[in-house]
Amino acid sequence: MALMRKKNKPSGDIPTSSMADIAFLLLIFFLVTTVFDEEKGLEIVLPEQDSEVEVSQKNVIHLMVQVDGLVAVKRGESPQVQRVRSQEIGSIWRQAAAANPNLIAAVKTAPAAPYRYMIDVLDQLQGAGADKISLQVLEE
Amino acid sequence: MSVSKGGLKRKSKASSEIPSSSLADMAFLLLIFFMVSTTFKKEKTRTYEPPQAEATQKREEPRKDVLHVYVERDGGIYINDQLLQLDQVSNVVAPLYEENRSMIVQLRADREVPYATVDQLQKEFQQAGAIRMVFYTELEQRATRERR
Repeated sequence: MALMRKKNKPSGDIPTSSMADIAFLLLIFFLVTTVFDEEKGLEIVLPEQDSEVEVSQKNVIHLMVQVDGLVAVKRGESPQVQRVRSQEIGSIWRQAAAANPNLIAAVKTAPAAPYRYMIDVLDQLQGAGADKISLQVLEE
Repeated sequence: MSVSKGGLKRKSKASSEIPSSSLADMAFLLLIFFMVSTTFKKEKTRTYEPPQAEATQKREEPRKDVLHVYVERDGGIYINDQLLQLDQVSNVVAPLYEENRSMIVQLRADREVPYATVDQLQKEFQQAGAIRMVFYTELEQRATRERR
């Protein structure tokens, strides 16, 4: 009977050939599923508290953001008000800033207007290279 | 001079197989490196839709200098996973700013939040002394804007 015993010769090694595949699979899985949380946005430096600066009206361009997203533009002392879409603010700023390099943009947003309308205007101003921007709330 | 025809061809004994035994080690090393070097966000994920802007710029400040202030669509204000009332914000931000003078406040507000809330928040930050702030926005492609 002993002669009929089948010889079983299992290999003594652990199969390592697929180990690399498994490890790379995990590596690629984690690489693909990772989302990075980027820090990005539009920067602004707020004025310090209780620091009021007197500015001449002729150096100010008033941008009044309405509840519907339209922007009323009032240049300095002129009583004229022009209602434009927020996309046009950039070119308006470039023109006005070319004429007066000391220009300050006063963005006044209606309290009930969605936040994104103010961002649209701020985006246009920063895209056009404005650095003196004042953010206020529009008083009726 | 042709040696190969002269029957003198030497049999190369170099193995033709690519050595793959160390491949697993390399892959695991990379895997472990990325696992160890990954930092996770401390705060819970908030549901809000940031506004979009073309002028969005990547910020390079170290993470420890950035304070995230979340405003959800329903107006809930969160700092470090804590729900706050508008008038409490300066009391919370002021000690954090005292601790770290190079702190920058990053306002992550939903795009539909009324501006009155955002204006009030700016006043709270000013009161706390944290005057450098960033409006968190998503980068908007020019093509998307034209469609709008």
